[in-house]
Amino acid sequence: MLLVGVVAVNVAVLRLNMQIEELGQQRLELEARNALLESQVSSTLAPARIEREARTRLGLVPAEESTYVELRPGR
Amino acid sequence: MTSRVVNRRIRLLFVLLSLALAGSLARAVWLQGVRAQPLSRLAAKQQRQTLELPARRGTIFDRNGVPLALGEQATTVYADPTQIQNARLVALAAEKALGLDAETIFPQLKDTSLAFVYLQRKADSAKAERLRKRELPGVGFYTEERRRYPQGAVGAQVLGFAGQDNRGLAGVELQLDDVLRGRPGRETVIRDPFGRVVDVLSETSERQGRDVFLTLDHRIQAKAEDVLRRTARQWGAKSATALVLDPSSGEIYAMATAPTFDANRFAEASQDKQRNRTATDTYEPGSTFKLIPVAGALSEGLVTPDSALTLATSIRVADRVINEHEPRPTVRMTVADIVAQSSNVGAITLGQQLGSERLASWVARFGFGKRTGLDLPGETPGLVLPLERWSGSTIGNLPIGQGIAVTPVQMAAAYAAVANNGVWVQPHLVGRVAGRSAARVGRRRILTPVIASQLATMLTGVVAEGGTGLAAAVPGYNVAGKTGTAAKPLSDGSGYSTSRYVASFVGFVPATRPRLVILVTLDEPTTIWGGLVAAPAFQELARFALQYLEVPPDNPEN
Repeated sequence: MLLVGVVAVNVAVLRLNMQIEELGQQRLELEARNALLESQVSSTLAPARIEREARTRLGLVPAEESTYVELRPGR
Repeated sequence: MTSRVVNRRIRLLFVLLSLALAGSLARAVWLQGVRAQPLSRLAAKQQRQTLELPARRGTIFDRNGVPLALGEQATTVYADPTQIQNARLVALAAEKALGLDAETIFPQLKDTSLAFVYLQRKADSAKAERLRKRELPGVGFYTEERRRYPQGAVGAQVLGFAGQDNRGLAGVELQLDDVLRGRPGRETVIRDPFGRVVDVLSETSERQGRDVFLTLDHRIQAKAEDVLRRTARQWGAKSATALVLDPSSGEIYAMATAPTFDANRFAEASQDKQRNRTATDTYEPGSTFKLIPVAGALSEGLVTPDSALTLATSIRVADRVINEHEPRPTVRMTVADIVAQSSNVGAITLGQQLGSERLASWVARFGFGKRTGLDLPGETPGLVLPLERWSGSTIGNLPIGQGIAVTPVQMAAAYAAVANNGVWVQPHLVGRVAGRSAARVGRRRILTPVIASQLATMLTGVVAEGGTGLAAAVPGYNVAGKTGTAAKPLSDGSGYSTSRYVASFVGFVPATRPRLVILVTLDEPTTIWGGLVAAPAFQELARFALQYLEVPPDNPEN
């Protein structure tokens, strides 16, 4: 019985080690995926890309520069 | 059958079984006793493996947390020619999947004296996966981190780049390589016959690279690069630089050089394009340097902004005669007029009143001839002639920004001191490392607040009617600044070119409560005047940055 118990514990440890290894691999894959998504987000934020998309896809033109006008009450 | 026959057969069977058992026992004793150690060593060699755990290189963010440089997973593809069964098949497969040239790689794949050849370092993982699915014998794969710059050319000269081995080679990547690269770990594992890890014998964890937040703003940086690109093209300039910084903190929002390059393709860019000219290149500043003799003369109490001087159209200093940039009769000019109209004769006169020693000390006080301490590699201190080597004509050159070589960073920092109430602040690019503020920034008072205020007021006269920098005016804001048009020295040292100039404009806005210092330089534009070519670039960049940062106007009626 003791022998059976020892064998069972060893098998459980082996299984856990393999699970840990698998989870480690998953973590690496998720980190890689995360980095790729961060990179894609940064690329989409690039001002040159935004301007290009605005012009070509949406047909927008650059806005006139803002001019500040001071409004005084009573006039 | 008689019982004797049966008994004999039973005894024979017993003997045979005993012999088999004895043989098994002997084999077991042989394997587990006599051969135990060599067999254990062999098993350990096959099952035990020590792996390096690579450290992730830290990400470089802009001030708002937008990643400018980060690591992506890539797959390095290699081949073992001794294991390849069909070299031509492998070459064609690699060409199709990875875009390589089959004719180029085929000779290496056929060479069985080699046990390892790279097919492609850090290939795109999706493309490598297509090749992996072919399961070609002799072709192997492993994961490597590839450095990627998602915004391409934005900030390329500032960021620098990391090479194939993920070590920083230029720019911030080099300056902060120790911080960014981390430290790999090690792990010794036992694998089963299927290659699965069943036990970890020892482990030293990797230390991931630390993330860095720069003071750059990617939008202001991109705008600066766009303005430079168009301005350089419009005026046929060889190159151009722009700096945008916060005078009170020294934080650099933008540090741009044109022409630029895509940081993801740094290996294809020329050395020229890779240089961060705002810190590594010098230029003779010309009239923007007139700030120094004026500041010195005011601070030493020799003049006030309203002091009037009688100025001829030219002035003789030793063996040189220096003229105004436009002919005029002898006039009386105030110090404020000298600044607004960029009078050469006026600036030299003030320099002469200061004298060589005091002028030299004011040049040093403003930080010229010394590195600013910028957190980038390759910053040059510029070239300042030591006082003991001044000739008789130096006092005629230096006040008008000739015979001295400065960097754009030094010049911007000098004007930032005026904008910051007389306190010079060290310009810097690194904001935070792993969440903690970067090292303390150097500060020193070089002007009294009163003198700084007087200078700021005089500099607003440059960007007003009658001033040389009217094209830098920004609607709704008071702008203080100075134009510069400096002839480039001839390479043989015999004098100055009459056709090659550096045009510049440096200023701060809003002048009454400065939020931004902006400097623009153009190298060898076809039209030479700073007020015509650099001032409009200043204006465009200032209008964008002020609106983007939501800086309220200080002169709404303008």
